[in-house]
Amino acid sequence: MSKPIIVVRNLNKTFPGPDNKIEISAVKDVNVEIFQGEVVVVRGPSGAGKSTFLRCLNGLENFDSGSVVIDNTPLDHHHKNRLEIRKEVGMVFQSFNLFPHMTVRKNISLAISRVRKKSKEECEITTLDLLEKVGITDKIDSYPSQLSGGQQQRVAIARALAMNPKIMLFDEATSALDPEMISEVLDVMKALAKEGMTMVVVTHEMGFAREAGTRLLFMDNGEIVEDREVRDFFENPIEDRSKAFLSKVL
Amino acid sequence: MRRHNYLLDGIVLSILILVVFLGFIRIKNGFQYSWNWGAIPRFFFRLDESGRIKTNILMQGFLTTVRLSFWSSGAALLIGTLMGILRTRKNLFPRLVGRTYIEIARNTPPLVLIFIFYFFIGNIITSSLGIDEWSRNLSGVGKTVLTIMFSKPERFPAFLSALFTLAVYEGAYVAEIVRGGLESVEAGQFEASYALGFSRFDKYRYIILPQVFRKVLPSLTGQAISTIKDSSIVSIISIRELTFQGMELMASTYLVFEIWITITIMYFILTISLSALASYLERRMIKY
Ligand SMILES: Nc1ncnc2c1ncn2[C@@H]1O[C@H](COP(=O)(O)OP(=O)(O)O)[C@@H](O)[C@H]1O
Ligand SMILES: [Mg+2]
Repeated sequence: MSKPIIVVRNLNKTFPGPDNKIEISAVKDVNVEIFQGEVVVVRGPSGAGKSTFLRCLNGLENFDSGSVVIDNTPLDHHHKNRLEIRKEVGMVFQSFNLFPHMTVRKNISLAISRVRKKSKEECEITTLDLLEKVGITDKIDSYPSQLSGGQQQRVAIARALAMNPKIMLFDEATSALDPEMISEVLDVMKALAKEGMTMVVVTHEMGFAREAGTRLLFMDNGEIVEDREVRDFFENPIEDRSKAFLSKVL
Repeated sequence: MRRHNYLLDGIVLSILILVVFLGFIRIKNGFQYSWNWGAIPRFFFRLDESGRIKTNILMQGFLTTVRLSFWSSGAALLIGTLMGILRTRKNLFPRLVGRTYIEIARNTPPLVLIFIFYFFIGNIITSSLGIDEWSRNLSGVGKTVLTIMFSKPERFPAFLSALFTLAVYEGAYVAEIVRGGLESVEAGQFEASYALGFSRFDKYRYIILPQVFRKVLPSLTGQAISTIKDSSIVSIISIRELTFQGMELMASTYLVFEIWITITIMYFILTISLSALASYLERRMIKY
């Protein structure tokens, strides 16, 4: 394989504890390399540091020490580098975070016009393309509140894709959804994986991991305690922790 | 929903009218005041020598109040929005700037602010920036525009100090309103804007502030109404707004009650139309 597109070295992130005395180590000495086209599924118990790890990858969270390099751009304090990374890394949140005062069309096209500085026609074409991709062209002039959770999340994915990112991050994108809507969102994510998008996906959906994932990370207490190929994992789920986990979710 | 009780409203209204009516009779009998309402209309409009209708002193005062309130509310909105944003930033320095401004502006009596600005802006800034000269040397058209939009050229520097005083004073309250609005916007909105690569300006311009203004429109309307009422304070530096003109008129005509009642009604007209405009906007805003 070629050079990794995400390189994380000795990443550490602490939060001040409740009484400001003890610090909470959310991410502890994490090292990981992710290559173009990989679909990395991150699992682990609640509070393990999965979200914090993901948010360190696009600078949403400032880490204490270590380094993150995205597509050869170091994530440091330089505004230019950060902006470059923010443009190349799309993010999908558990709570969708669509802009409530804009139509679906505007939600998607705003970044294309303001950040990518594309012409009106290009915005229109891209917006329609993306909505087609996520399967909700008929809702283009609706407001987010008029959509179901599954539809909102699909718009959020389209919105992140509008930036034409090289990497997509998903933080429990289906956890806030009613069970019957989970698959429509997972289907979009699977299609994206099939197209070769580099993805880091925090999820407990093992069906998605099996079908679309290439690699599995297991986090606990801020550390990556397991890092394996997906195929290997499902064939020999040897480690006890994973075994216990698997028997619970499968 | 509960049904509206019209009977109760009717009773309350009748009692109110009765009280006002009885009060009037008492004033009329006990006061020995000879009312002369007939003299009032000509203080609004008068005919000049050639028989054309011209605005007179009360109308001019009213228009000055409108212009002053309009510009200072606009400026207060600008200052207040900027300071409100600074107040919510993560870094210490911008927060400190916002905080200092708000504390100083809110804790200084507006009368003191007026004098500071009148002598500072009125004398030093306007002359050093050449605003004084500039407004005097405007072309005929320029002078007309200035007069219609702001004030007569020769009074422009004083008008500016009045405008600044009100803007700075009211801006502090706007800043607190905006800060409250900003704090009520979900963190996810900021995070999504960050992740999508929006510049800081675009983030506020397109994503955050539209949500904020929608939430705080009623409070902002209240603040604009305060600005209209507070604008009377600049009569102290001889800005010829409604209250100033009214007092001048009282001094020369002794129609004290008629004039006070008239200018009160005029302030009412302004504030009520503003409220109406705001609730119209609120109703017209898209629902989401
Ligand atoms: N903004 C924050 N302030 C303080 N503590 C935080 C913050 N975000 C996360 N944490 C703490 O960091 C740890 C990891 O959190 P998180 O990354 O959200 O875990 P996960 O996503 O795996 O559930 C938890 O102990 C959590 O309480
Ligand atoms: Mg999480």
